[in-house]
Amino acid sequence: MVDQSIAGPVMASVSEGDRSGRARIVILLLCLGLAAAVFLSLTSGASDASAVNVIGGWLFGTVPDDAAVSARDSLIVYDIRLPRIILGMLVGAALAVSGAVMQGLFRNPLADPGLIGVSAGSSLGAVAVIVLGATILAPVTALLGTLALPLAAFCGGLATTLVLYQVATRRGQTSVATMLLAGIALAALAMALTGILIFMADDRQLRDLTFWQLGSLGGATWAKIASVGPIIVLALAAMPFLARGLNALALGEATAGHLGIPVQRLKYTAIVGVSAAVGASVAVSGGIGFVGIVVPHLLRLLIGPDNRYLLPASALLGASLLLLADAVARTIVAPAELPIGIVTAIAGAPFFLWILLRKRGVVDL
Amino acid sequence: MIEAKDVSVDIAGKPIVSGIDFHARPGEIAAIVGPNGSGKTTFLKALSGELAYTGRVALNGRDLSTMKPVEVAVHRAVLPQATTLSFPFTVREVVKLGLVGGRSGVLPGEDARLPERALARVDLDGFAGRFYQELSGGEQQRVQLARVLSQVWAPVLDGKPRFLFLDEPVSSLDIKHQLIIMNIARDFARRGGGVVAILHDLNLTAMYADRIFVMHRGRLAATGSPRDVLSDDLIEKVFDCRLRVGVLPAGNMPFVLPQSAA
Repeated sequence: MVDQSIAGPVMASVSEGDRSGRARIVILLLCLGLAAAVFLSLTSGASDASAVNVIGGWLFGTVPDDAAVSARDSLIVYDIRLPRIILGMLVGAALAVSGAVMQGLFRNPLADPGLIGVSAGSSLGAVAVIVLGATILAPVTALLGTLALPLAAFCGGLATTLVLYQVATRRGQTSVATMLLAGIALAALAMALTGILIFMADDRQLRDLTFWQLGSLGGATWAKIASVGPIIVLALAAMPFLARGLNALALGEATAGHLGIPVQRLKYTAIVGVSAAVGASVAVSGGIGFVGIVVPHLLRLLIGPDNRYLLPASALLGASLLLLADAVARTIVAPAELPIGIVTAIAGAPFFLWILLRKRGVVDL
Repeated sequence: MIEAKDVSVDIAGKPIVSGIDFHARPGEIAAIVGPNGSGKTTFLKALSGELAYTGRVALNGRDLSTMKPVEVAVHRAVLPQATTLSFPFTVREVVKLGLVGGRSGVLPGEDARLPERALARVDLDGFAGRFYQELSGGEQQRVQLARVLSQVWAPVLDGKPRFLFLDEPVSSLDIKHQLIIMNIARDFARRGGGVVAILHDLNLTAMYADRIFVMHRGRLAATGSPRDVLSDDLIEKVFDCRLRVGVLPAGNMPFVLPQSAA
């Protein structure tokens, strides 16, 4: 009898229960989808600026007949649409990957930075800098400059996540009920403190804050990208190294440890990474909810829960979906603009309810 | 070789395990028996590095407390009493998680085929594509064993024996699969590895164990070969049950019938 194992690598590509092949195809398709979303976002908007002409100009040096129109279009595409697209991709990827990582960490598909108070904590940090930046926190803002806002949001998110993890996890098992309830309590506390700050804010700050809290990619500039981009990119770059550990964590903390995973380090890296990514996202775009829960959930249905594929796929789909949501936000009430957080909530909240209904009886609440 | 000297574990200030001396040799199945709550699982958790303990545990000559998780994972694999899984993994994906540590010990390139081989070992041929959550409790337990086996597929690696820690490996299994699993353990030991198993079935213990460690209220009540350890007196003292230990004429293998209760 021939030893089956000799045919190992060849057979493996068609092994039952192995979804890695499908995952690779999905990731490839998501790359194409993201390219399409970028193109769509570049070409659509309140203005009739032609991105095709502008891009053609950059690439091939072709200049349209009317130089004035060309300059205006170039400005719109390069200084308004492009930074907004890049910021949207960064924020979408950050939120979706953070959701996937938190779900792996809490071992539960319902964990989401927005739902369990991490975003609220980040908001508190950010609002504190916006309102108190000129007075009490002036030394901080003077020292850190444009980094003060994302850093404050990071600290707020980190504090919330750490408290949440301590409260919700006993002996390596996370209670979902405790996690959600503790998240609600922490979010309420953070929002109350944010409320005090808003109470102290002046009229101009107030208007800024309201729109910022609803979530928007409006006002994206290259400067904003320069301040939060590196944080998000660093956090996202660290996440793939957590994938195998998070996979093992699905079997519980003890078993992950038996398999050789340094569980404590994994947990803290994940918490810091998520806080950084969410904090930076909240700092520039406010409260954009549900991306972190919808994207990983859809992808798990498609390619399974293996984080080695789930995390990159989440980044791609999160970026694409946020670009589409932003395109809707920009055009649906044009020339005015809907806060994107409203768009993601209108689409995401019913989806979340649907997950709950489907999982009722399966997820131990 | 695993050697534990004077191992004690306190949980929330209460002593659960006190002063256990224990050893597990390659080539042997060491069974830990004892009534519910006697500290068997707690002791095994200390051995596997999961719980803080006082005393000394040496794993193949190295002090367990100084080893990193990834180093420990090379020397031993642990099958817990129960495992819950939080996401819809397929059976194959669960078994493949056993390879996270990366030292299964099979030849390079054969890891890809290992999940299927491990599943065949536990009599789950053809289950690779099923979802773990859809399986029965006994099937899930065998999937977990397949995962554990693939972590230490070669019983000896780099000239050192590797160990299987099994916490009630057959408790949820039918009689056929109880025997299959115990035979896997025995085979693992015969090929140079070592097995530490918590067992409740005294007859299976008598049949398969090379050495029995009897625990009672957190302490070691007796140790030795099944024939030396399993006696009427010990069973009454430890399990609080007046039973008679019988011996089959062939092979001198002790057995304990619940029907013999006085």
